[in-house]
Amino acid sequence: MLSWFRNSIVYKMTFLVMGTASLVLGFVIAYSYHYSYEMILKGSETNARHLTLSAARRIEQEFRSVAKVAQGLADHLSVNLDNNEQTLLKLVKTSVENNPEVYGGGAIFEPGGFFKDRIAYAPYFYKAGNETRFVQLASPFYNYFQKDYYHITRLLNRPTWSDPYFDEGGGDILMVTFSAPVYWSKTRGNPEDFRGIATSDISLEWLTSLVEKIQVVQNGFGFIISDTGIFVTHPVREDIMRESIFSVAEEKNSLALREAGRKMVLNHSGFVDIGTALTPQESFLAFARIPSTGWSLGVVLPREELLADLVRLHQRTLLLALTGVCLLFVASYLLARSMARPLLRMSGAARKIATGDLAVDLSDIRSSDEVGQLAVSFEEMVEGLRQKEFIRDTFGRYLTKEVVQQLLESEDGLKLGGEQRELSLMMSDLRGFTSLTSFMAPEEILTFLNRYLGKMVEILMNHRGVIDEIIGDGILAFFGAPEPMKDHTVRAVACALNMQAAMDEINTMNELDGYAHLEMGIAVHTGQVVVGNIGSEKRSKYGVVGSDVNFTGRIEGYTVGGQVLISDTAYQLIKEYVDVRQTLTVQMKGIPGMVTLYDIRGMKGPYNIVLKDRDESPKLLKKEIVIEVHRLHKKVMDKTKIFARITHKSQTSVIVLFDRKIETWEDIRIKLADDDYPSRGGEAFGKVIHTRQLENAWEATVRVTSLSPQLYQLFKDTGSD
Amino acid sequence: MDINLAGMYDTLSALIYLARINGGFFRKQILVFWMSFLLLVLPVSQVLSKEKVTFLPQWIPQAQFAGYMVAKEKGFYNEWDLDVTLLRGGPDINPFFNLAARETTFCSGWLSEGIQQRASGIEVVNLAQIIQQSSLLLIAKKERHIDTLADLNGRKVGFWMGEFYMPIRALIFKHDLNVKLVPNYTTVTILLKDAVDAMAAMWYNEYHRMILSGYNPDELSVFRFSELGVDFPEDGIYCLEKTYLSNPVMCENFVRASLKGWQYAFTHEEETLDIVMAYADAANTGTNRAHQRWMLARMKDLVLDSDTPGSFGILDRDDYRKLGQTLERMYMIDEVPEFDLFFKGWH
Repeated sequence: MLSWFRNSIVYKMTFLVMGTASLVLGFVIAYSYHYSYEMILKGSETNARHLTLSAARRIEQEFRSVAKVAQGLADHLSVNLDNNEQTLLKLVKTSVENNPEVYGGGAIFEPGGFFKDRIAYAPYFYKAGNETRFVQLASPFYNYFQKDYYHITRLLNRPTWSDPYFDEGGGDILMVTFSAPVYWSKTRGNPEDFRGIATSDISLEWLTSLVEKIQVVQNGFGFIISDTGIFVTHPVREDIMRESIFSVAEEKNSLALREAGRKMVLNHSGFVDIGTALTPQESFLAFARIPSTGWSLGVVLPREELLADLVRLHQRTLLLALTGVCLLFVASYLLARSMARPLLRMSGAARKIATGDLAVDLSDIRSSDEVGQLAVSFEEMVEGLRQKEFIRDTFGRYLTKEVVQQLLESEDGLKLGGEQRELSLMMSDLRGFTSLTSFMAPEEILTFLNRYLGKMVEILMNHRGVIDEIIGDGILAFFGAPEPMKDHTVRAVACALNMQAAMDEINTMNELDGYAHLEMGIAVHTGQVVVGNIGSEKRSKYGVVGSDVNFTGRIEGYTVGGQVLISDTAYQLIKEYVDVRQTLTVQMKGIPGMVTLYDIRGMKGPYNIVLKDRDESPKLLKKEIVIEVHRLHKKVMDKTKIFARITHKSQTSVIVLFDRKIETWEDIRIKLADDDYPSRGGEAFGKVIHTRQLENAWEATVRVTSLSPQLYQLFKDTGSD
Repeated sequence: MDINLAGMYDTLSALIYLARINGGFFRKQILVFWMSFLLLVLPVSQVLSKEKVTFLPQWIPQAQFAGYMVAKEKGFYNEWDLDVTLLRGGPDINPFFNLAARETTFCSGWLSEGIQQRASGIEVVNLAQIIQQSSLLLIAKKERHIDTLADLNGRKVGFWMGEFYMPIRALIFKHDLNVKLVPNYTTVTILLKDAVDAMAAMWYNEYHRMILSGYNPDELSVFRFSELGVDFPEDGIYCLEKTYLSNPVMCENFVRASLKGWQYAFTHEEETLDIVMAYADAANTGTNRAHQRWMLARMKDLVLDSDTPGSFGILDRDDYRKLGQTLERMYMIDEVPEFDLFFKGWH
């Protein structure tokens, strides 16, 4: 995981984004929770306090109306001191019957309070179903003088609400009694005048149902405690009159509830957190005073319900936040991946390129953002590399490393235009090759040519020659560019000599393959030319132009097979190194005066090469060979068939007797006369290098430049002894 | 119907053992006959042999009498061959009257009351002294500026009639107080409603009722009788002398089972509270567990806290003499009854 994280931008980005987002969201939610908690709690508190207070007021109204009944009765009895029992009973009975909230009521007297001779007299009416029942409380088994509702009221000498109690005198139910003192005089309040009490009762059952009707909260509940903390109403009926808020606090060991209870009995209103003291779940307690009795109405509000809105809000917020984080996760993952994947692809491609493989395709990276741009740039780079590779591949076959390097590396390597410079030019050509090829299959031509050119290009490159052009069998090359070289003439000549020397090897292979014997002529010239990129933007080459190039071509035209002819200019530069076989002086078209050319045999110095001397002395043939000769004008064959005879033959030349005049440097095609050699085909090409007029005939020395295999064999067979 | 299963099992085991060693003599049929006979007769004879007695505590069912309730419910009385019925006491019942009227076999009551009864000619004997000290207090609200005993002078003090009268009179007598005594018929309402300025209260009962009414201990002034030279031992077990003389074993059994009940109650709080609450609920006393828990704990303090170890259930001769002399001095009795005639406990 850690290494994933460390090594993956996807994981880094995803987790960073998600982590930060979660953190921020967490803080926001926590803050909002805290803030809204306070707010909602405050609102709930105000609301709960208000509701509890108004509920307490409602209950207070009930107590007051019940108290009014007893007080009315007491007032009446304090004024009317007669002892008419019937009037009293009717009065007490109506006080119970006419007030639905009153459970029971009585007139309870001191000894002698009603009848002078009665120690106890206490008529009491209470409700039982639909009827009102009567009971005389005074009995040997019920000492009302000791009951709180009587005893305490008497002691305090003022109206009192009793604590709730289980009354066994009448209805045997839990009740509370309001007792109003009755006096012997209209000026009430003197304890000496205490005559008894008038009471009205509230059934706790009725009170409980009243409290239950008060719907302050859905899941909470209301209860009433007396001023001593005892439960007067409680949803759990068994707890009424048995438990007090303090006994519950003690059993639950809850100081909070005890404190709340103390506040309640001290007649405060309030709102406190009581934990789980009264309910299994966390709750708040709102309470308010019921002034008449000094009791307190408590409302238990489960925290959950109170904060339900808050919880719901935050559940949703949390859900939204989680969804957001998930979406963010997906988004950041996708984003990171969209970045990382092209990067990975490119890094893979780069690795591939490093191994030299340029077959890289990034075309599926389609985005146009920075990564996409990077990919495009990458592709452009690959394309550039590919082009350079192509250039290197293509040019490398014809150009030296230096040229290729310069073309590729120099900023304006491929710019058109060039410079005037002194170079050595070399031109080579195969003698009679064009005519020879007309008898060969195309594939043979190519094999033949490639073998020849392959070898020649190799030698050229070794001598740092730059190939300007290869046209068919002819090569134009130059030395001394693009890098300047002091010894370009030496190199050019040495290269030419080596190329000539290589011809033996090529011919040996050609003979084995049954191809024609080849002769090559090379011309070397040193002169001022323009060198550079020649051509248009679309197609250009690094080459040379100038009259010296044409001049070199002319020189080449004078060569015969196996010969290296160099110009005088070239010769002057390197004469101390070269071994000249012969000097030729020729008249060239368009060039005034005679031109001196040097047939170079070999070279001293670092290149140290000497061409084998051929046996040039013609030997008389045992038998003359009759031939047909066609003259060639600018490599085009004249149709006129001239019969002639070969009388002598050397390794390079033949002596031919013509019946007409023939010019020196003329090119001719030789073919065996059909009549004499019906079975032999084949032909040869040659250049007339010397003529002599005889009687009735002209003798020409013909340098044979190419020879078909048949003829080559014939010449061998008919060789002189 | 209780069956002494352990006893039956022993008998059957013995019979089976005999059957094995005397196979020839005890035929299988005879064995079955004997076993059937035993199964039918034994339980009946066990119940029949139990003494039917009653016990009347001096107050309503509460943890003050936990020992007896536990002894009954845990079957300790049965173990001592007693079939005890626990009667219900209350404010209108003086157990010594019931004892004299032979309406109960045993009763519980204060030592001062016991001595007074004996001195007045009702021949009761003390079988065990359960509480060896006074747990009586005077409590007042501090908010009414009562901090010392002297502050009570000229004030109303609530008290219960009956047995409580003697120690209160002793206190007033001893400390020369000038208070207006007001009878209290119930619990602490009289004090809570300020109908009195102070009231007599039991440490194990009314004191805690004040606490359960929302008063904190530091808001109450508490005067302990035991610390004010009026340390009257309280609850003891009594019966008529005639009862004791006619069946001392039964009396001893009742005391031993009751003491065992107390010991069990003090070591099994929750179980005891369950039993106490059941009795309290049956009597509709409207008490709660928190209050009974307090009472049981205080009973433990009072019953087990004694100067001399091993005095559990024993009436101390000195305590008796001192209390007797105090009562005599206050003209509550003419003469202190002889200790050995009064106390019939088991050492």
